[in-house]
Amino acid sequence: MTREEILNELKKVFAPYTTNKEMLDGINDQTDLIRDLKINSANLVDIIIDAEAKYNIEIDYDSADKMINVGSCIDVIYDKLNQK
Amino acid sequence: MSGTGCDIVALKAINVARSQQSRFYSKIITDVEKSFYDKALSAIMPLEHFVWLAWSVKESVYKFLQRGKPDLVFSPSKMVIQQLKVPASASSLTGGRGFDSDTVYKGLVMFDGRQFHSASVITGDFIFSAVNDSDDFTGIHWAVKKIGSSEPDVQSAEVRRLISGTLPDLFPRQDLRIEKSPHGYPFVSSGDKELPVIVSFAHHDHWIAYSFVLNN
Repeated sequence: MTREEILNELKKVFAPYTTNKEMLDGINDQTDLIRDLKINSANLVDIIIDAEAKYNIEIDYDSADKMINVGSCIDVIYDKLNQK
Repeated sequence: MSGTGCDIVALKAINVARSQQSRFYSKIITDVEKSFYDKALSAIMPLEHFVWLAWSVKESVYKFLQRGKPDLVFSPSKMVIQQLKVPASASSLTGGRGFDSDTVYKGLVMFDGRQFHSASVITGDFIFSAVNDSDDFTGIHWAVKKIGSSEPDVQSAEVRRLISGTLPDLFPRQDLRIEKSPHGYPFVSSGDKELPVIVSFAHHDHWIAYSFVLNN
C-alpha cells in the first residue's frame, strides 16, 4: 500500500470525528488532527482503534503517541503494514 | 512556578461499549491501574467512568506540562495514577476556588519522575479534572458549564466568555485579552504584556471548562 493509498483510506477514518469536513479533502502530512481537523482529543484513541481495524495492524503505545498529524499517522501505518 | 491543567469528558458523548473493551482502555490505563480498579473501585464505579476519569487526569497533566515543554507528546500509557481517594458524597458544584475534598476524587499521578495531584468532579453528565503540582488546590479557580452547541468555534468562544466572568475581578481596570500561543495553550494579556495567570481550557461535546491559577 502506498502512502497516497493510506492517505485516501485515512480520510474515511477521520471523517466521523472531524467537524471540519471541508478540510478533509485537502489534508496533507502537516495537517494537525486537533488544531486543523478540530478532532477532540477524546477521539484520538477511537482513531487508533479504527485504524488498527481498517489495516489489520496493531499500533503499540509509542507509535500511538506519535499520531498527532496526518503525516505521522501515515508513517506509523506504513511501517506497521510493512512489518506484517 | 505554579501551574494548572484541566480536562472535561462529556459522559453522554463517550462510546460506553467501546470504552469497556480492553483493546480501547489499554491505550489509556496501564495494567497496574486496571488491577487497582478491579480491586478497589469496580463495586462503586463502572469501568468506562474509571477509564475516562484516568483520561481526564492524564490529559490535565499533559496540559500542565505542555506549557513549559511545547514539544511534549501526550503519552497516557506512561502516566500512572498511583492513588485515588474516593469522596464520601457526590459533588453538585460547577465551579469555584479550590475543591471540597469531601466531594471530589483526589488522585496522585506519576509521570517522568514527577508527582502531580488531581481533583476530579464526577456527575451524571461529565467528568472534570484539574491538576496541580501540589496537593493544595486553594489557588485553583475552575468552572464547568453546559452550552448549546458542540461546534469547536462555539466551544472556544463560550469558554472565553465563561472565564471572562471571573478574571476582571482579579485584574480590575485592565483590558484583558485571551490569546493562544503558537503551541496551542491559552494565555491572558493586557496591552502588550502577558499577565501572571496560567489558564487551561477544556471542552467536549456540549460541555466547557476552565481552570486557572495566579502565577505570583
